[in-house]
Amino acid sequence: MKIALFIPCLVNQMMPEVAVATLSVLEKLGHEVIYPEGQTCCGQPMTNSGCFDEAKSTTLKLLNAFKGVECDAIVCPAASCLVAAKENFHEFDDSAEAQSVINKLYELTEFLHDVCPIASFKKPLDFTISLQLSCHGIRMLNLASPSESMGTKFNKVEAVLQPIEKLNIVYPDPVDECCGFGGTFAVDEGAVSAKMGKDKAQAHAATKALYVVGFDPSCLLHLDGMIRRQLLPIQTRHIAQILDAAL
Amino acid sequence: MYSSNNHAKNARIFCQDEGRVDWHSKALWNLRAKRDKAAASIPEWEALRQAGSQIKLHTLSNLSHYLQMFEKQCVANGIHVHWAKDASEHNKIALDILAKHQVKKLVKSKSMLTEECHLNPFLEQHGIEVIDTDLGERIIQLNNQPPSHIVVPAIHMKKEEVGDLFHEKLHTPKGESDPTRLTRAARQHLRDQFLSADAAMTGVNMAVASEGAVVVCTNEGNADMGVNLPALQLHSMGIDKIVPDHDSAIVLLRMLARNAIGQPITTYSSFYRGSKINGEMHIIIVDNGRTEIMKDKILAESLKCIRCGGCLNTCPVYRRSGGFSYNYTIPGPIGIAVGAQHDDSNTIPWACTLCGSCTYVCPTKVPLDKIIAHHRRLKAQAGKLPFGKKHYMPLVGKLMSSPTMLNCAMSSARVALKIIPHSIIKPFSGAWGQYRELPVSPKSSFDTWYKQHTAAKKEAK
Repeated sequence: MKIALFIPCLVNQMMPEVAVATLSVLEKLGHEVIYPEGQTCCGQPMTNSGCFDEAKSTTLKLLNAFKGVECDAIVCPAASCLVAAKENFHEFDDSAEAQSVINKLYELTEFLHDVCPIASFKKPLDFTISLQLSCHGIRMLNLASPSESMGTKFNKVEAVLQPIEKLNIVYPDPVDECCGFGGTFAVDEGAVSAKMGKDKAQAHAATKALYVVGFDPSCLLHLDGMIRRQLLPIQTRHIAQILDAAL
Repeated sequence: MYSSNNHAKNARIFCQDEGRVDWHSKALWNLRAKRDKAAASIPEWEALRQAGSQIKLHTLSNLSHYLQMFEKQCVANGIHVHWAKDASEHNKIALDILAKHQVKKLVKSKSMLTEECHLNPFLEQHGIEVIDTDLGERIIQLNNQPPSHIVVPAIHMKKEEVGDLFHEKLHTPKGESDPTRLTRAARQHLRDQFLSADAAMTGVNMAVASEGAVVVCTNEGNADMGVNLPALQLHSMGIDKIVPDHDSAIVLLRMLARNAIGQPITTYSSFYRGSKINGEMHIIIVDNGRTEIMKDKILAESLKCIRCGGCLNTCPVYRRSGGFSYNYTIPGPIGIAVGAQHDDSNTIPWACTLCGSCTYVCPTKVPLDKIIAHHRRLKAQAGKLPFGKKHYMPLVGKLMSSPTMLNCAMSSARVALKIIPHSIIKPFSGAWGQYRELPVSPKSSFDTWYKQHTAAKKEAK
């Protein structure tokens, strides 16, 4: 498939290794990957604050970066940015062209589960990972059934990682409580955000896993800051980095 | 309670005692865990939620029809029905009824509506003693506090604190903190109140239109003890409490206690549809801003709420900031949903990470996270943004929409993170660096890496 990368500003600027791993994974899987120029922020920090006017120009710039780009799918390694992009593109542009961009948007795990599953992995990974089931991914993108729901249980994140030989997958307790990042919440409500992050980081560390692995870089950035402040014996990795190591 | 109404500030104060935060959070999480178990025991749970949501939506869409049907049936059952457009009308109606019967003492079971209307202080000003008879409510009444939770109102107090309070007010032995002994003391104390009361008042969980009956749910039987003793009984309900018939009431009843505390059903679920012999039964139906809320399609769904408190128990922010941090009678997600319009601190819609757990917990599928996000938008439109957002958001919007400016700013930030010692950066990095380590700065952006990578690839070819 021909895939266009959607690399959110936070990943581009602060966690480029996540984008590099995403590119590598997709190329190893035999896809043709392009990186359209002129990508900006999806507008989430503004719209989540209620400031839609302020979000319009950056959202439309990002949308324009994908309009007319020939590709089969647009793949993004950040669940909450992807959700925001979908919602905000729709909010500010109701054209058919915008809709065709929206229809091609996939979060990386979602893409690897629903669209192009990985046929086989090459290398075993002999360690334990604790999965970070971030809120927007599970509750808005259906990457896994949330713990509150009594419907059919599913977990696309585990399903994608599970075939990796020797890899041991565990979960923190509680399994999918919010890590407390929440965008500007992390600074507006610093005390509660930090307490939530501390509790989450400790719950991951208590599993004795080598890595906290997630699909949302912003949650991972927050958890990384909490883990290092608490001097906990665990590190954060993005799911693309784990997949890249196993391919 | 704290002097300031700013949620973040109140939460910061609450968070200073980490042991208490952990205790509070765990106590409420236990309720969530019990709820999960109870919900999982019903194979059709998700279908039940869907039915609950549809029943409430249908009733709210045909509200005037069902309210009139309810009134007609009530009158046929000999019940006096009163209509109150707001809190002050409600309080005045209640006072008039009580005054007419020369009531000196009123026993009242749990009612968030009377909290919303601030009925207790109003009646007390007019010389009527009000005794809250729910154990948790009585504890906080003796402690001169509002509820910190809508189902477990004294959840913020430890048993030792209740022991000290009871020692002072009910003369239990000093240092007594055994829950059974304290409950026994409260029971004895309340028994005296029931026997000497002139009238009883309750909240209403559901009002059944086809029957002209109100449903009152308690675990302690305190509402029934009240209603069945004095001749005069009053029931206050919001217009949103209406359900069409018994079948729809049963759907909600199956979920109410399960979702609240993991119990199959409340110990007492009483349907009152008439007075005692020689007694009088009054129902006060209150609007108090509800029809206003219904004008907004998104906010209107908050009226589907059946006040089970499940959203508070699951909320990671509520559990770590406490019920008194919300600047409204009702705290937590549903408190933000129905209280944000009255929030003069303009901070409670932001006391939320939009994690969405509440929406999935809710038995009537109130889209709480969407409602909270919508409140933020309404506040922003009204120019009521907290935390300096009014000033910095336009700048962020400008910065983010320009890849060049963003790149420039971020590359200087990366350089700053690298070359300036963290001890110097920390004070400038605000709440991020106060609680967390700053990010490890990468060498370059992905943009830059990608350009070099593709150039190198071309050369290799």
